[in-house]
Amino acid sequence: MIRSFPILTLLLLAACGQEAAQIELSQAWARPTVGQAPGAVYLTIENKGGVDDRLTGAFTDRAAMAMVHQNEVDNGIAKMRMAGEINIPAHDQIEMQPGGTHVMLEGLRAPLKTGDDFDLVLRFRNSKDQTVKVTVLKPEGK
Amino acid sequence: MTISRLRIILWLLVGIAAVGGILIAVQRPSPAADETAMATIGGPFTLTGADGQSFSSARLNGKPAAIFFGFTNCPDVCPTTLARLAKLRRQLGKGDEALSVVFITVDPERDGPAEVGSYAKLFNAPVIGLTGSPGDIERVKQQFGAFSQKVEQPGGGYSVDHTASVFLMDRNGKFVATLSPEESDSVALAKLSRLVA
Repeated sequence: MIRSFPILTLLLLAACGQEAAQIELSQAWARPTVGQAPGAVYLTIENKGGVDDRLTGAFTDRAAMAMVHQNEVDNGIAKMRMAGEINIPAHDQIEMQPGGTHVMLEGLRAPLKTGDDFDLVLRFRNSKDQTVKVTVLKPEGK
Repeated sequence: MTISRLRIILWLLVGIAAVGGILIAVQRPSPAADETAMATIGGPFTLTGADGQSFSSARLNGKPAAIFFGFTNCPDVCPTTLARLAKLRRQLGKGDEALSVVFITVDPERDGPAEVGSYAKLFNAPVIGLTGSPGDIERVKQQFGAFSQKVEQPGGGYSVDHTASVFLMDRNGKFVATLSPEESDSVALAKLSRLVA
């Protein structure tokens, strides 16, 4: 009975293989910051799996809080709001761009300096936590 | 005073009131005057520079200026806009002296001279950071028709909704056009080329 467990697990994994969300994070960058000002991280989230997933949270040791925010220009007014969960459709990707969705870092332990890098962890509804290295670029960004 | 003299005085008062009323009616702008509202964007102002000294808009005269209203706790739209202006100015190829980039905070409670100064230095290019008393900032916002409003953030603190566009002023401080974050770099560059020509 006990011996059949690994086989059972393998079978289950094989069955799920097609269906699991498969998240890959890349191209994570931020602009430098000064003083107490918060930072913004932009990155690409790719879902290579066959089921939709949702981004539910963000964590980093570099700041007191990491929050997914969404910006929009509504009738000429720039508005920044907490984003709810962000849908990452199967076989699709979300490319965060300045002026749109970003991970805001509030309460940075030290201002972000060009050349710094640090880890950012993203949490998903289906997939397990994923870590990406964020690089602080020049102020011009990408 | 006789009754007849009093009557004359009263009629004179009625006459003055009537003439005054007509003058007020004539001077009141008609709805069509909105067309000229653009000409009234801007005008002289006095704020506080990053050095804590008073900064008169007269110091901007002599070269065109791109004026942006934002706040230093703005991690995305504001640095994106200022970095874009610095980049476009470089692409004009006329040097940093060809165009002043001005950042006016709409969050004077949190952004003192030191904050706007260090924020303005973030862009590896000259940016003039300005703040002022809440009353000063309110007046300048009204002069430019710029909007801002604090929005409470869940978990404490606040963000500020604000006008996203940049105001382009000519070398005499006269309003020329806006730059919207939604328009392409090529359109923006064409506007700026005309401005610094």
